[in-house]
Amino acid sequence: MSYFLEQVLNGLSYGLVLSLIAAGFAIVFTSTGVLNFAHGSIVLFGAYLVAVLHPTIGFWPALLVAMAGCALVGVAINALLVRHLADKNAGTAAILMLGVDIVLLTELTRRIGNKVLTLGAPWGASVVRFGDVSLPTGRVVAAGLTVVAFAALWYLFSRTDLGVGMRAAAADGPTASLMGIRLSRTAATGWALAGVLAAVAGVFLTSFPAPGVAPTVALSAFAAIPAWVLGGFDSVPGAVVGGLIIGLTSALVTGYESDLAGVVGTGFGEVAPYVVMIVVLLVRPSGLLGSKEAVRV
Amino acid sequence: MSELPRRIGGLVLVLVALALPLVLSDFWLQTGLFVMATAIGAVGLTLLVGVAGQLSLGHAAFAGIGAYVYTWSTGESTTTVSGAGLPPVVGLVLAAAVSALVGAAFSPVAGRLRGIYLGLATLGLVFIVRHLLVNLDQWTGGFTGRSVESFALGGFSFSNKDPDYLAVAGVEFEGLHRLWYLFLVLTLVGCWLAGNLRSGRTGRAWANVRDSETAAAAMGIGVARAKASVFVVSSAYAGVAGAMLALAYGRIAPDVFGLTASVDFLVMIVLGGLGSVGGAVVGALFVTALPLVLAEYSGSLPFLAAPGSGGLDPATTARMVYGLAIIAVLLFLRGGLAGAARRLRHRTSRTSPPSPAGPAPHDPISTDDVGRPAAVTPSRSKETTR
Amino acid sequence: MSPPLLSVEHLHVVYDGTISALSDVSLTVDEGQVVAVLGSNGAGKTSLLRAISRALDSYGGAVTGGSVRFDGVDLAGLDTAAVVRRGLVQVPEGRRIFRDLSVEDNLRAGGYTVRDAKARAEARDRVFDLFPILAERREQPGGLLSGGQQQMLAMGRALMASPRLLLLDEPSLGLAPLLVDQIGEIVTEINRQGTAVLLIEQNAVMGLRVADAASVLEVGRVTAAGTAAELSASDEVQERYLGVAVPVVTTDPVVVDEPEIPTAQPPQQLRVEGLTVRFGGIAALSDVSFTVEPGTVHALIGPNGAGKSTLVNVLGGAYRATEGTVHYGDEELTALSAHRVAGLGVARTFQNISLALEDTVEDNLLVGRHRLMRGGVVSGAWKTPRVRREEREHRETVAGIAELLGIGHLLRTPVHTLAYGDRKRVEMGRALAARPSLLLLDEPVAGMTHGESQDMAETIRQVRRDLGLSIVLVEHDMPFVMGLAEQVTVLDFGKKIAEGTPAEVQRDPEVVRAYLGASAA
Repeated sequence: MSYFLEQVLNGLSYGLVLSLIAAGFAIVFTSTGVLNFAHGSIVLFGAYLVAVLHPTIGFWPALLVAMAGCALVGVAINALLVRHLADKNAGTAAILMLGVDIVLLTELTRRIGNKVLTLGAPWGASVVRFGDVSLPTGRVVAAGLTVVAFAALWYLFSRTDLGVGMRAAAADGPTASLMGIRLSRTAATGWALAGVLAAVAGVFLTSFPAPGVAPTVALSAFAAIPAWVLGGFDSVPGAVVGGLIIGLTSALVTGYESDLAGVVGTGFGEVAPYVVMIVVLLVRPSGLLGSKEAVRV
Repeated sequence: MSELPRRIGGLVLVLVALALPLVLSDFWLQTGLFVMATAIGAVGLTLLVGVAGQLSLGHAAFAGIGAYVYTWSTGESTTTVSGAGLPPVVGLVLAAAVSALVGAAFSPVAGRLRGIYLGLATLGLVFIVRHLLVNLDQWTGGFTGRSVESFALGGFSFSNKDPDYLAVAGVEFEGLHRLWYLFLVLTLVGCWLAGNLRSGRTGRAWANVRDSETAAAAMGIGVARAKASVFVVSSAYAGVAGAMLALAYGRIAPDVFGLTASVDFLVMIVLGGLGSVGGAVVGALFVTALPLVLAEYSGSLPFLAAPGSGGLDPATTARMVYGLAIIAVLLFLRGGLAGAARRLRHRTSRTSPPSPAGPAPHDPISTDDVGRPAAVTPSRSKETTR
Repeated sequence: MSPPLLSVEHLHVVYDGTISALSDVSLTVDEGQVVAVLGSNGAGKTSLLRAISRALDSYGGAVTGGSVRFDGVDLAGLDTAAVVRRGLVQVPEGRRIFRDLSVEDNLRAGGYTVRDAKARAEARDRVFDLFPILAERREQPGGLLSGGQQQMLAMGRALMASPRLLLLDEPSLGLAPLLVDQIGEIVTEINRQGTAVLLIEQNAVMGLRVADAASVLEVGRVTAAGTAAELSASDEVQERYLGVAVPVVTTDPVVVDEPEIPTAQPPQQLRVEGLTVRFGGIAALSDVSFTVEPGTVHALIGPNGAGKSTLVNVLGGAYRATEGTVHYGDEELTALSAHRVAGLGVARTFQNISLALEDTVEDNLLVGRHRLMRGGVVSGAWKTPRVRREEREHRETVAGIAELLGIGHLLRTPVHTLAYGDRKRVEMGRALAARPSLLLLDEPVAGMTHGESQDMAETIRQVRRDLGLSIVLVEHDMPFVMGLAEQVTVLDFGKKIAEGTPAEVQRDPEVVRAYLGASAA
């Protein structure tokens, strides 16, 4: 029983980290209509910055710098590339982001090389025990910070002018601009927010039990795509729900791998999220909490 | 019109391709094989993404299926892996057929989803197929893969076996040379078929589904059927490309057909210009040959560092270059290389204009006063999103 | 005298680099004035507002000449947000409220530019005073409001920025006559509180009632301007926009000659019975029935938002009927998918032209032949002799159709270089290429000059004479329909309100009221 509980807690805390990344996908998508395939690289970039900077300035300041750095990268991608796209449709933008991803990931891979960088997180490899159940401290901190992050997002979107403006812009950009809302500004804010969330997620994706900062992190950030799709493309709460479901699914599938191997083979934990995603796309293309697309021609 | 010069140009290219094995070294021949194999895959993808507007990130999955079907059906059973031991030609046909079938099976998904939503679903396909390839190890050899039987037609082997010695114009024709011609035939036929499809009734239907599903249906085009047919065709191309890749590598493993390969296929068709068959081939040439060539000549290129040194090693440089190339093409070169070439041709032919007999200089109104200017219907959009 | 609050001088607007939407448009709005701009669909009214709000960019449009000055300042070079901050706020056509946001958040978005909390609270109180219903429903998502309430929300949202000049784009669109009157009163009240208003209206009665001055916009040009009283008295405005004394053109008797180009099948009777279409609870059509006799031209008319386009979309199979049936001959169209409907010989054109812009006219026309061609994927890929022959034959046929429509010389030209009128012809040609026995034309002359629409009417007569098919014509423009159709069905708010010959329909009091508003009848 405690093994099961441990898997569940593991899955939920991992799911919260995924939901940070998924929320980044959702925010960028709603504010600029871009499927940000470079998001994984930005996550990696955040973790990389922390790994490089923590020996000199300490972990927490390094995290702050990483948040700012990732936000800046996002804003720059939007301002320098996305806005200048000649053919503005979601498909072309997605392919553009694949190009950006290749460049970013290649450069980061070159810098990291074959090494696995350490993060210098203060919680190291310690473990917290709740009765029989033990959980990496990093995951507990992650869960706490994620909850704080989402509370802040909720406040932003429902209580501040900027947030209401962003929602208006996402719902109907041209009309929102008739209200005096500058779409370039809401878009930049969206990219910056996604960057901040990516940096936080990057730290928790690479701290214990993960070995450290390595290029493969960008790929594991891909696992957040099913979480995003599952929750609904334009919904931040959806990203949380999706993240939790995907985290739980992959933790349980991995945790009970030996029992399942006869049916689905080994390593199914990596694939299960995508299977769930395709099923959800078929049954409910707008995701669990996403807004329905208009049916009028 | 410009038919004749194009035909002459094409003929010259074919002649050059025929003559190349006489002068090229093994490295270049090998590179050529990879280029032709990926070109076939890219041609299939450009029909799907460029012509019919169905974004797919799963092309490598279909190529993987083709590669493994070929390898399994032509391979002999051993203690670790099974094989059907069928003739290679049958294997090639099976590779295309099974990929096409999987494509057909996937097409209901395409019927429900559009644009990037479809792209995401196909992304899942890559991971699922890779998982199957790793786990079905009696057939696939698992994670480490399995080796590929060489191609043969009748008694004629496309390896160094039989007939032992074959020479043309004093150049000994080894396996690579023979494969080159096999691949060349496949590539030419593939491009020709794709070009015919694109310009004919089927291609017009696909393009209309891309531009507006509502308008397409109003013209009597069965949208679901058109989508299914383009998925089947492009998957068959991917299947053949996979089989060719298997032959070119001589040994295949699941990681060859991962997400990176899918993205590479997309990069090829975007660089070449979405919807252009010739562009897809040029894109394949660029994306496939660049890393190989850089690696081969890294010693004589002073700016390249040794792999793993943290500097600009060949693989890194190649990826960097085509990452930047794709950004540059999307930002500055509308319609990719094919689009640029088309504009160039237009510009040169402007001097002797086939000018349309004067459309009225005063154009009337464009807005429908409802949402957007009527004449600016989702112009040139390569796909529809919700 | 102080300079006008808004002055538009010699404005030219072009879309997509080639298509002109406004030419040499000038008008002024003085402080405290209500100015109306009248005109029919496609006259360029919305383009004018977009140009003033500096919002053309996102629609691919650009100002190519002239100037817009607000309060003495040239707006060129400013973005929309800067224009709003100067006190010029637009209420877009079709309300465009944020459906998922609550009423309160909608208003909040409207007050985005107001930094001062006190000014904002005052603005909100004023809006709630003006529209008490909004205060009542402040927690609800905007999408749940009724059409009239949504219009109020859209206006209230704009008023949150306390504008000096309010631009209203067709506030009466799709509203019942009583509500139209109410909106008119609100406009007057807003103006009384000190806001100048530029009102774009198709409903000329309402526009002229609330306005001090007005301009008439036709196909991108100002054709008449003056005080509201002057315009109301002008013969031309009375005739074209106030529906007074439209000359009844007697319809030519139907002479069914032997058609020159035979249709696939002879036309059948089209029967629409009890048709109802609902979109998420809102009925776009309710219980509509009519019959189109084979070989006749049947017009569907009605004000904007009456459900005409919805009806065409049901006939063509693009929308599903919620209730009721449509039969074409023995076939039930409502049970078929769009491409099967097309397969029965029903072809259509679209209100917002839907062509492949990069392709040539010939290729676009060939798409119409799709259902008549047989080449499949395999035979097409191998270009079998049969496929080659088929392709050649159909190219010849299509060339013939292009000649019939007067676009034969454009066959090899890419569509995106064509003028608007030619594009309309290409679309019609594509529909004809499908060799239909029933042709659905959705607003074939929207946005055309008078001369062009005369040409189009001639083309439609000719097509009907030469091809002997039935035509269902959806139109807004009454006089156009009068000279063309044998039978007219009038829709209003999704209901059929009249039916008969053009002359009968024109005299029907219901129709007059639908077109001109409650007070006119």
